[in-house]
Amino acid sequence: MDKETLKMLANKLMFTMKEEEYKTLMDEFDIILKQMDLIGNIPDIDKVEPMTYPFMLDNVSLREDKVVDELEIDEILVNSGSNLYNQVKLPKVVE
Amino acid sequence: MALSIKEMREKIDSGSVSSEELFTESVNLAKKYQDKYNPFVTIIDKYEIDKSSDSNLSGIPYALKDNISTKGILTTASSNILKNYVPVYDATIYKKLKEAGAVLMGKTVLDELAMGGTGTTGHTGVVKNPWNSERLIGGSSAGSAASVALGIVPFAIGSDTGDSIRKPAAYGGVVGFKPTYGRISRYGLFAFASSLDHLGVFARNTYDVAMVMNVIKGHDERDMTSLPDDDKNYLDTIDNEVAGKKLFYIKEILDNSDNDKELAKVIDNFSMVIKKCESLGIEVCEESIDKDLLLALYPTYMSISCAEVTSNDANLTGIHFGVRGEGNTPEEIIKDARTKGFSELIKRRFVLGSYILQKENQEKLFLNACRIRRMVVDKINDLFKKYDGLIMPAASGIAPKFGEGTDKLSDKYLMLDNHLVIGNFGGFPSITIPSGFVDDMPLGINITGRVCEDDVVLNMAYKLENTMDYVNQVAKDGEIDV
Repeated sequence: MDKETLKMLANKLMFTMKEEEYKTLMDEFDIILKQMDLIGNIPDIDKVEPMTYPFMLDNVSLREDKVVDELEIDEILVNSGSNLYNQVKLPKVVE
Repeated sequence: MALSIKEMREKIDSGSVSSEELFTESVNLAKKYQDKYNPFVTIIDKYEIDKSSDSNLSGIPYALKDNISTKGILTTASSNILKNYVPVYDATIYKKLKEAGAVLMGKTVLDELAMGGTGTTGHTGVVKNPWNSERLIGGSSAGSAASVALGIVPFAIGSDTGDSIRKPAAYGGVVGFKPTYGRISRYGLFAFASSLDHLGVFARNTYDVAMVMNVIKGHDERDMTSLPDDDKNYLDTIDNEVAGKKLFYIKEILDNSDNDKELAKVIDNFSMVIKKCESLGIEVCEESIDKDLLLALYPTYMSISCAEVTSNDANLTGIHFGVRGEGNTPEEIIKDARTKGFSELIKRRFVLGSYILQKENQEKLFLNACRIRRMVVDKINDLFKKYDGLIMPAASGIAPKFGEGTDKLSDKYLMLDNHLVIGNFGGFPSITIPSGFVDDMPLGINITGRVCEDDVVLNMAYKLENTMDYVNQVAKDGEIDV
């Protein structure tokens, strides 16, 4: 695993890491990729359907398409760091 | 204090103690132990109760893990990025407990964003093991486990994505139960890995767990993965006869050909538990599962959980909620918030998840992990045609000391320290109960049963725990005088 790939991934995830943190990350990747190799040891794995949930849920149905206003604007905005005119405020995107 | 729910119920009903007195005692204990063990992010001083309920939990103090939404009460997920977040809605589990008259006295520390199994990565500091403060309690539901082990509350709510209730329960000498996937609504639980996440209960005995489950289970249309209610009262069947039940254990996971001394003690304890099962008329058999499949349990869990959390936590931008970053553009603001808000460990998990989800790695790492998940679940379900459950030690030993190294490529780590993920892969109900001590530290035994047979698992655990001497035990670190 090279540092540039890890930096590219961190950038996609929208954070930065310190140089010394990449060293730990690369060491950890060495172990994790060895662990991941264990996944490749299973014969005929390609014949198995991937499982994305523990079991089939047969009770899932779409809810009625009803308009429900659960939160007041004031409540929605209370945790935003900056707001104006009942909207979350951000710097201009288009100059 | 250290009364069980059942004992508290009797005292409240007889008038010998009031709910408010129990709450005050609970808060005082929390404050007394907070500096040393750090179970809480928030201790709630204000006594608030819905007195309209006559449920078993009416007037009983309890604690919630701090990744469960509580309107008007700080909820941080033990992460700096949410250190100022005050939810504007209640999680369904909290709403149900409130309506049942249970009294919230604190929000408990977790490993940051519920990722991790040590209880050492929360933004307010490490949680120490109440049996020995030089040892960790495990995680991620660290504070919930510690608050019950310390006798501060008779029950606490946790979440479990890999083993985050059942492992700290073992290290803390308490009971930890994760029901069938979908049995408890997750509306208002901060998602970690949605296909593996469960809510569940800590208590000091299985009867209390059943009392809490009766209140918090049930269908919720706000959670699309919520099951229809099973319409069962788990107390009705908890004392049923268990003679004739059959359990199995997995031979490969208990292999000790390396003569590991600590593992030998765990296996001795397990042998004792098997004898207790047999004394109840439960037959316990050895079964074999392909070792390569078992060695792949942990990497499979890591692959699926890191991939899912990378996506789930993309909403933590500091824009709509959370600590806002600085910068001249929205992108700079988000980057600053995420850089400062996440610890190094969390960033490493996210990078791993992103790596797994890169187009060129998806087939090999993510989809193959999902395939192994199916193979494991199919194998266990196949065995469940013959058996009522799987019984195993909950971990390879007692709670580790802080900073104690682990060989993460060893068979012991990959299988015995991580086999509880089987319960999450298949959504199986799974419980850890205390089963003894090694070097004055508690050990736990785990029973995992068939999907939707939560009542059967609770019944077997209840009968088994009553053959041993650890029901209602409270931690006994040298400086505790409970």
